[in-house]
Amino acid sequence: MKRSPLLYAIALIAFTLTIGCAPSPLVRPEGIHYPPLRFSTPTVERVELANGIVLFVLEDHELPLINITAVVRTGSVYDPVGKEGLADMTASVMRTGGTVHMTGDEIDEALDYMAATISVSAGRESATVTLSVMKQDIDMGLKVFSDILINPIFDEDKLRIAKELKIEALRRVYDNPQTMAFREFTRLFYRGNPRGRLDSVRSVTNIARVDMARFHRQFFFPANIMMAVTGDITKDEAVAKITGRFGTWATIGSVETIPPPAKHDSPSLNYLHKDVPQSIIILGNLGPGKKDPDYYTFEILDFIIGSGGFRSRIFDEVRSARGLAYSAGSFYAPRPAYGVFGAYAFTKTASTAESLSVIRSILEDVKISAIGNENLHWAKKSIDSAFIFSFTSPSQIALQRLMLEYNGLPEDFLKTYRPMIQQVSPDDLQRVAQKYLLQECETTLVVGNAQHFDRPLSEFGVVNEVKGHD
Amino acid sequence: MKLHIIRSISWLFITIVSVTLSTSCLAYDLENMVQSYTLDNGLKVLIVERHFSPTVAFYIRYNVGAVNESSNYTGTAHFLEHMLFKGTQTIGTTNYREEAKILKKIHNVIETLDTEKMKGENADLQKVDVYTRELAQLRKRADTFVIENEIDRLYTENGGADLNASTGYDLTSYHVSLPSNKIELWARIESDRMNNPVFRSFFSERNVVIEERRQTVESKPPRKLMEQFLATAFTLHPYRRPILGWKSEMPFLNLTYMRHFFKIYHSPNNTVIAVVGDVSPPDVMKIIIRYFGGIAPQEIPPSHIPVEPPQQGERRIELVADSNPEIMIGYHKPTLPSSDDYAFDIIDIILSKGRTSRLYTKLINVEELAASITTINGFPASRYPNLFLLHAAPRYPHTAKEVEQSIYEEIERLKREAVSARELKKAKTQLKADFIRGLKSNSGLASMLSYFEAIAGDYHYITDHIKTVEKITTADIMEVAKKYLIAENRTVAILVQKQ
Repeated sequence: MKRSPLLYAIALIAFTLTIGCAPSPLVRPEGIHYPPLRFSTPTVERVELANGIVLFVLEDHELPLINITAVVRTGSVYDPVGKEGLADMTASVMRTGGTVHMTGDEIDEALDYMAATISVSAGRESATVTLSVMKQDIDMGLKVFSDILINPIFDEDKLRIAKELKIEALRRVYDNPQTMAFREFTRLFYRGNPRGRLDSVRSVTNIARVDMARFHRQFFFPANIMMAVTGDITKDEAVAKITGRFGTWATIGSVETIPPPAKHDSPSLNYLHKDVPQSIIILGNLGPGKKDPDYYTFEILDFIIGSGGFRSRIFDEVRSARGLAYSAGSFYAPRPAYGVFGAYAFTKTASTAESLSVIRSILEDVKISAIGNENLHWAKKSIDSAFIFSFTSPSQIALQRLMLEYNGLPEDFLKTYRPMIQQVSPDDLQRVAQKYLLQECETTLVVGNAQHFDRPLSEFGVVNEVKGHD
Repeated sequence: MKLHIIRSISWLFITIVSVTLSTSCLAYDLENMVQSYTLDNGLKVLIVERHFSPTVAFYIRYNVGAVNESSNYTGTAHFLEHMLFKGTQTIGTTNYREEAKILKKIHNVIETLDTEKMKGENADLQKVDVYTRELAQLRKRADTFVIENEIDRLYTENGGADLNASTGYDLTSYHVSLPSNKIELWARIESDRMNNPVFRSFFSERNVVIEERRQTVESKPPRKLMEQFLATAFTLHPYRRPILGWKSEMPFLNLTYMRHFFKIYHSPNNTVIAVVGDVSPPDVMKIIIRYFGGIAPQEIPPSHIPVEPPQQGERRIELVADSNPEIMIGYHKPTLPSSDDYAFDIIDIILSKGRTSRLYTKLINVEELAASITTINGFPASRYPNLFLLHAAPRYPHTAKEVEQSIYEEIERLKREAVSARELKKAKTQLKADFIRGLKSNSGLASMLSYFEAIAGDYHYITDHIKTVEKITTADIMEVAKKYLIAENRTVAILVQKQ
């Protein structure tokens, strides 16, 4: 390090400060003057191949790495009745079960030897296939990546192992009360909708190789796939190499649209017994989707209620003021056509009812009394200042651009986001709170040991006792 | 006059730096990317300029953790980390002078109440009741001065991302990322809480950390197993204690002790800061010197941390709980910068990193005995001699015993036959790739730099590591396996499912 003259200068300054002058009174944090922040986000290049694959490319030559993320329009929402878990198992065995050109073991060895990774995973409403590879290995990496996407053979041995691992994972869900609670909440929240059908030991056992091959054929076809390519590769190279590997792929599948979950017509209060010293409380309901004009207002509402850090109302009251929980807050997961809003707290058994009623009264309060301008201003300022963190890495920027198109949102969605947030008024907040929060359709789940609750859950409504296992 | 001097020196400083920087443009040539400074009060600062986005990641690492607690005060380091979010004399209060008077009374009542409650069954319940009511009254009065969660509010409304802190055995870390024009806000808050924190809301926050333990340990048998495992593998060294604190000690976490602990260990001469992002190092240093330069260094007493005596025979424990089985096996070993530790980095990869690693292949794909297998070199922390850990979950109906036997076969093989040249090369390639991937995000790089500067005493350990590992031979691996991976040196903990 060429640091000695610098060090000398620094030491001198510090010396002057510590010895020479009394500490000056601290400036109020509000009084700090900040220079303006200038930024322009790099442009992502969009290229559509002849077979329908859409590429989003953003070059980044800082490190000798290349990343590709493929997003496929599929997901567990398409699992056939009785074969829940098929999307997840198909993804898993695509990765391990070999292709027409290489066995699964050969693929593993090739990847590990290059220190490259390929992952295939299925979510509820999409599947993702990623490649991370050192620049020098891009050709081999891309060969394996394309082979897995196009030509998987679902080897029976690897299928059996994947099934066994999946069944073991299901057995172990119940060891972790928090994982179990959120899983059961999903089932209850989406009751009567394909999204609420979860995998079970029985449904996984029913899955055969032919189901996977069919699932793959139906959803993994060029026009149903978008890819984000980032890293140490030029746009022209990226397009040429991907066309080389995927250009002749020309199958056509079919994807029907699954309608968004419908609103329930009655509330559902559920209790799941587990002998743990801490209860898990989750309650939620549908919120607006990203295409809904109420989306921006709901973002702010959720921020104020429980996702805006320590100052948000649930955290502030349940954790800071009352010391009832370590984890408490809210979440809002907006999809294009609908959103999921939930509030939660993990609290000791003896404060279960107290925590649930505090959360309910916070939600009730934003419906009946207006959120003050000061609170609204804080939320707007916070959301606005943090916006820049949506653009911190090339892969994040390219994937974001991809997801806008995947979700059918306008290209300028992020450009209009900040002004739309600024337009939200206190009246909007109250109107949207009244429209969505604590309707006669919310789903509540409490996991814990009711014998020792501070007050019975029946105070909150008719209790439905659920079992964790199928 | 003084200010004028400072300004002119700063300008000099900028000129020098701009010359230095022009030579440092190699993409991942870490040594030339990092600017390193030490303030007169001992504060160490590492800065890396990166301009992809107008953001900056900050890491502050205090060289203190759970190992520095006196026994009976387990959980203090972690609880202190929570308390440092409660504000300062100028942040989080409407009138500190008045508030301080009540806080003093509150702290006296809490200590009196705790002393009474510590008597357990012999506690005078009437007294407990009186103190509890008095405390409630005082807390209500104190609350009128408190602006709750003000530090979080300031960061959040200024775009703070990933605001978090963590307490380990060796280090306590505070992390936040901000838009790059907000550096001064970070310096204002962090220097103030290094210098003038106010431990307000002590009583309710103590309940929060107890809830944290309930959430992460008491409700999760695998975490309890880990706690019991460490308490068995280490008989004397403080790695045997839980970071959150023992359940029976947490309700009595003590403010007077916490103040003492804070004063000694949260001093500038015990601290490393890393700043990575869209910054100009001279500008950052100007701000850091202005805010942190005046904080007085402290004399840090010798640590008196007991040395773990060599293990002379296998130790085994079981934990019976309503949870599927797991097994943990740990072998004592030296820590960095011992050359044996480098060999263990390679062994770690060969055994369990990736689908072609030896244990993954054997346990999951070939014998189909296990649902998962992980190994960690350097458990539970790295400042002191630690463990090489193997952690597996058997797959029903297979047992922990079967998995254990299978693991031992693979360990014996390490001692018996040399690993192939291909396997060794693969492991080294993976280490290098991990290093490069670790540089991707500003916060990842800031974390890595500050961690090794604090633990190894010099961030160059990161680059030296790559060079040293390159020299590890198959003979080194065999030798290390023979020396440490032996029955007398191991601790085994098994989670047994309650029938």
